[in-house]
This record gives sequence, C-alpha cells and structure tokens, in this order.
Amino acid sequence: MDDFFKLDGITVQFGGLVAVHRFSLHLEEGERVGLIGPNGAGKTTVFNIVSGFLAPGSGKVYWKGNDITGRPVHEITRLGIARTFQNIRLFPDMTVLENVMVSFHHKLRSHFWQAMFGLPSYRREESLLKSEAMTYLEELGLSHLSAERAGSLPYGQQRRLEIARALAIRPGLLLLDEPVAGMNPSESLETAQLILDLQRKYPLTVFLIEHDMKFVMQLCERIKVLDYGHTIAEGTPAEIQQDPLVLKAYLGGACVC
Amino acid sequence: MDRDRLKIFLNGVTLVAVFLVLFAFSRYGTDYQVRILNNMAIFITLAVSYNLVNGYCGILHLGPNAFVAIGAYTSALLTMTPAEKQMNFIIQPIVWPLNVIEVPFVLSLLAAGLTATLFAFLISFPVFRVRGDYLAIVTLGFGEVVRVLCNALQNVTNGPLGLKGLSPCTNLWWTWGVAVLSMVVISRLIHSSYGRALKAIREDETAARAMGVDPFQHLLLAFLISAFFSGVAGGLLAHLITTISPTLFTFLLTFNLLIMIVVGGLGSTTGAVIGAMLFAWGGEALRIVEKPMDLGFVIIPGIPGMRMVIFSLLLMLVILFARRGIMGRSELNWEVILTRLDRLRRP
Repeated sequence: MDDFFKLDGITVQFGGLVAVHRFSLHLEEGERVGLIGPNGAGKTTVFNIVSGFLAPGSGKVYWKGNDITGRPVHEITRLGIARTFQNIRLFPDMTVLENVMVSFHHKLRSHFWQAMFGLPSYRREESLLKSEAMTYLEELGLSHLSAERAGSLPYGQQRRLEIARALAIRPGLLLLDEPVAGMNPSESLETAQLILDLQRKYPLTVFLIEHDMKFVMQLCERIKVLDYGHTIAEGTPAEIQQDPLVLKAYLGGACVC
Repeated sequence: MDRDRLKIFLNGVTLVAVFLVLFAFSRYGTDYQVRILNNMAIFITLAVSYNLVNGYCGILHLGPNAFVAIGAYTSALLTMTPAEKQMNFIIQPIVWPLNVIEVPFVLSLLAAGLTATLFAFLISFPVFRVRGDYLAIVTLGFGEVVRVLCNALQNVTNGPLGLKGLSPCTNLWWTWGVAVLSMVVISRLIHSSYGRALKAIREDETAARAMGVDPFQHLLLAFLISAFFSGVAGGLLAHLITTISPTLFTFLLTFNLLIMIVVGGLGSTTGAVIGAMLFAWGGEALRIVEKPMDLGFVIIPGIPGMRMVIFSLLLMLVILFARRGIMGRSELNWEVILTRLDRLRRP
C-alpha cells in the first residue's frame, strides 16, 4: 500500500461511447510520465478523473494508498494533486499576484470573521501569503508583472502563470494538460527546462498530456499511449517510437487485427 | 508603513466629517431632508450587501426583497407591544409566542438579521445546486413565495392588512451606523483571502475548484452575510416608515436594488454606495421637473410622472456611456486617491 499514485481499471462511458477503457497507471514519486494519443483518445478524460472533475464508471483512484475515487475536486486538490488546463483558465480580471494567492486560500487558518473585522492575526497571515506568492512568481519569472491583470498577459506568460498557480498548491503530483500547446520550439524547450528545474527544487511528480512529440520524448521518462480509450503502448520514449501499434494509431496503416 | 497610518488617519477624518454632517442634519435639517438621508443609508446597506452576492460572486440573485421582508416583519413583530398587536390583528389573533414578546429595538434588529440569515441558509441548498439564469429563477421564486406567505399567514403577519403603528425608532444614527458597519465589514471581507476566493469563483468556477476553493462553502458565506445585512436593513426600514405591508416587498424592490448596483458598477462597493445615494437623492432632486416651469417665452405646466421619465433617460445614458457602471469594478478609496496624487506630484 505504499503506492504513490495509482489508477486501477478506470472505465468512463459517455452514453454509448467508451471514452476510457480499463485504464491503469502507476506513478512513482518524482517521475515524469507522459500521456499521448490522437485527438479524442481520452487523455483529458483521464486527467478529469485524476483531478476529480469526473467520477469513473468503474475503477479506483489511489493517492498515497488511500482511495480517493469520486472525491470532490477541491478536496483532491487539497490532498496535493494540482492541475493546469488545456485551454488556459486563469482568473482574468484579477491581478497576477491574486491569481497565485487563490491557491493558498484552502490552507488559510483565519476564519472569515477574523478577516471581516481586520484582526491583526489575519493581517499577519495575509502579508505572509503575499510574500509566499511572490516567491512562486519569482520562480517563474513573473514577479515584475505581479500587479498586472492576468487576462492582459501574453499567451506564454499566461501558461507560466497557470503553472505558478498550480505550484502554489504545493502539489505532490502536478498534472499538465498540454503545457506547450501553441508555443514555438524555443518556448517549449524553455518550458521543458522549467519543469526540470522545478522538479529539482520541489518534490514533484509530473504527469502530462502533450501533442508536441519532441517535447514529450525529451522530457518524459515513461510514456503511455491512448487510442480510442484503450492503452495501446507503454514504455520509455525509445520503445514508444518503435512500437508498431503507436505508429499505426498516429500514421494509419493496414489493419493487423 | 507611513502610508498605512495616513490612511487610518484619513478614514478617521472621513468618519468625523460624516458624523458632523449627520449631527448638523439631525439638529437643523427638515424632516424631509432627514428622511432622504435615512433612505439613503438604508439603500446603501441594501446595495452593498446585495453587491456582495451579485457583483463579487457573479451570482444573479433576484430575491433580496425576501430577506428585507423577513427582516422587516421580524423586527416589527418583536418591537410592537402586546396591546398594539391586539389592535392590529383584527381578523385573526396573533399566534403565541409572538403575542406576548416585546424586545428592545436593538435586539429586534439583531433578530431580523439572524432570521433572514436562517432563511438564506435554508434556501441555499436548492439555490446553489444551479447557476446562471436558473439560479435567478429559483431566487426570484423564493422572493415571490415569501411575499405570498406574508399575505397568507394572517395570524403571523396580519396578511394584506400589514402592521401599523410601529414606534419610529429608526433615526440617522441607526441607519448610518448600520450603513457604515456594512460597508467596512463587507469591503474588509472582499479584500481578504475570502474575497479573492469569491472573485475566483466569479471569474472561473472550474479553475477555482481546481485550486482548492469549495464553491458552495464560499457562496454560502457571501449569501448569508448579504442576507444578514438585508434583514437588518429591513428592520430599519420598518421602523422608519412605521407601517409595513406585503406590497412593500415586491420584486420592484429587488429591481431597484439591481439598478443601483448596476449603475454604480457591479463588483465595486464604492459603486454600490454611489448608486444607492444617486437613487435615493436623485428621485427627490428630480421633483423640480414636475413643477410648472416658466422659460420666459413658454410656460410648461407641471407633468406628474415626468421625473421618472427623466430618471429612466439618465439610467440609459449611464449604461450607454459607462457600460460597466459608474465605477466599473474599481474602488474609490484612499489608496487610489493617494496614488493618483503621488502621480500628479511626480509626473
């Protein structure tokens, strides 16, 4: 039971469509694992299961040995599983700093009435949160933008802010849903470097979805390939590149079934 | 650090100034002026607390009239003497224990707030299961149900006859005291971590959940605080006009509050205050357009209802030229003013 994170026989159906079929996954602490597959393969569905946005039809999710299947999203986040979104979901009308500070809210000790009456204990906590949020912004090179509206940042920085916000949860497991979508090669190289740097500084396990094969092959130690909800391959990047089923799923080919 | 002290000092000065103005009006003002000021303060309390839910949480809640009604009835029934109640309830006698209870005004206001909060808590479970237009309809329905109940519960609310002859306990100090308290408390909440969580829910509920914010818990908090102040304001209103009946708390009340916060700027406490003040004062100030006017070459006879036409036109102009209300989502506080002044000094 000393598993770090485990998905066990997850199946999700939307009406008659089987989005994910008997998906199993085992993550070791500190790993970088990629999930790839053609469009509509069920990758984001897997992420939604892990982060609690969807409850699986059958199967179990284990986090550090505990069954967390079907728990509400905010509880799962508090246990230490943070995510980013495929299409950026910042709080656009709040400042960059406030965006990060929202992530600290769940561990706030003061009660609402302490905040309402502006008691010194609350104010101390607030200034502590502020400086902590600034360290995360510095980490991602966004500290000079802390007072900007998040919605007015350029695309690349919005992606970074999303990572900063997820990192502020202090997650054990970080889920990145297409972290380099829409980035040019040099930007995605930078992001890969950033993820490696963050892993050196924080005890972080990374599970990511990405279509940029170069990025995935460079960064991930292990890759799982989904197609039509079925796991068709699993292994190191080198193994995946040679796998006939993967080649078929991506490039098409004669049916060998 | 210096700046914080300056802000505290300026806030103190503002409070003293408000105190002096109120003192002057309570001494030398006419009844008419005092009445407008009282209305203004009650509207401020209502608008600021309504804005907490509609502006900051981004929830279209259309039932504040229910909480105002509950507050008004609760406090009225608690302050009336048993003899007065007997005189009022001529069709059916009032139920026990309301027929014997009589409490001081302060306690009745507190009870008004708490009763409204209790009702808010009870309806929050169905209300927050839905969002958007659906939530608007659920709360609208709740407002209607409360009004209908006020009409139907003859032995509790005296039905359509209403309650008459309440003691006029409300004065400038009460109304403005509550208004200032609601402003301070709500703006503190909004600028705290809780306020950030509420705004995060407004901006993107999915992302807020993924960041560990429980939407139900936070929306409930805002909803209850809002209901509490609406209830207290209802109690003040009842003891200001001294006669209440179900017709006072129709959807029109909610609609007026909605106008105030939209004109002031959804999601701005200062905006809500400005909206409420304009609404309370503007309606009266525009009375001049209903008087006969002599323009020299032509004499316009007074047209009753003209001020509502002008008022509507003004509203349309505000929304046309300031689409997000007068203040938008920004606030006008000492921090903003001092920053502006600094910029002027050092261009």
